[in-house]
Amino acid sequence: MSNSRQAKPALYSQTLLAGLWRENPTLRLLLGMCPTLAVTAAVKPALTMGCCVIFVLVCSNIIVSLMRDLLKPHVRILMFTLTIATFVTIADLILKAFQPEMSETLGPYVPLIIVNCIIICRAEACASKNGLVISIIDAVGMGVGFTLTLCVLASIRELLATGAVFEIQVLPLARDGGWFVQWAAMGMPVGAFITLGLMLGLVNIVTGKKT
Amino acid sequence: MSKIKQFVQQSWLLIVASFFFGLLIAVTDAGLSPRIEQNKVNKRNRLVGALLPEARNFVALDTEIQIESAGGKTEKVEVFKAQSESGQCVGWSFNASGSGFADKIELVVAVDAKFEKIAGFAVLSSNETPGFGDQIKGDYYRSQYKGAPAGELKLVSIGDPKQIDSKIVAITGATVSSEAVVEIVSYFVTQIKEQMQKKGIIGNVQQQAS
Repeated sequence: MSNSRQAKPALYSQTLLAGLWRENPTLRLLLGMCPTLAVTAAVKPALTMGCCVIFVLVCSNIIVSLMRDLLKPHVRILMFTLTIATFVTIADLILKAFQPEMSETLGPYVPLIIVNCIIICRAEACASKNGLVISIIDAVGMGVGFTLTLCVLASIRELLATGAVFEIQVLPLARDGGWFVQWAAMGMPVGAFITLGLMLGLVNIVTGKKT
Repeated sequence: MSKIKQFVQQSWLLIVASFFFGLLIAVTDAGLSPRIEQNKVNKRNRLVGALLPEARNFVALDTEIQIESAGGKTEKVEVFKAQSESGQCVGWSFNASGSGFADKIELVVAVDAKFEKIAGFAVLSSNETPGFGDQIKGDYYRSQYKGAPAGELKLVSIGDPKQIDSKIVAITGATVSSEAVVEIVSYFVTQIKEQMQKKGIIGNVQQQAS
């Protein structure tokens, strides 16, 4: 009994931290590439996308975990999709109601969370096999890991494309008498591919040294 | 009978979940849709208010205005009458859309009370290339429309953007986006103007204004 009490917090923290680094959905599992490349031109949309994904991940993991014993193998993917689609629709409506400008900026990428591999992957790999608590912790860990990666990628791109981070001007622009020349390509898809590629390369170097 | 039983056994969860999730979405939508609709109205009014500074109130026109789209289909356009504090007509506004470089461009266009000059346009939604095509939202390009004649506009590659006439100077590196906006504005303005003249709406305004 005392062993299981000691093991549980360790398991919880291990699950939480897995999403942040060891099994980071973007950098290690290469999941959710569509929003990673599409909404990281600036930090604000990236953060909003991350929050939407956390909301959908937590809600879908809760539902899938609660009904895991009732799931028939051949309808489980259908059930996951149905659950995810419901919470994505709710997230989209909330965003349209309370953050209309951000909703327009993100455009179709919020409804596209339905086909985000991270969410269906966590439903299949974790929530359908584990209890409620561990499923919620897994969702939070994966969601936060995804959000942090998106924010780092977006910070680099926004800084190089506009000289600002989180819409706060950091570098003095050449057109205003400063030295920084805006790199428009970083705000475009090519900038997303280059930055993500460099980040993945850096992660490979770091993990390669450890092993 | 056994087939029905098997069907129910296999799919009851899916059926129950579909009803439950459908209800959840319906409740959320019912709760949030008034706010979402209000957001759309606020955004439109804010954009048109910037183009017609004297406008305080926007009233949808009772008369139905229909224009023929590029594909030959008839399209209904909602035209709004902009009124000043005293209730006088200070202009008209309507939504206009068409194909851009990357995606559909949706604009809100404002014209003066006599429908003689364009008061300007604002971009409601577009997906033009950042740094190039999205400059259609910028002052350099938009200011050329303020005071331009409400009729056929022409895109030119070289000219003085400060000279207000029917010639619109294209944005360097974004000719397709520039041309798309010229075509959308020209098309909608001329079509709506013609319809409103036919229905005697503009004539009435001219009398009011005079």
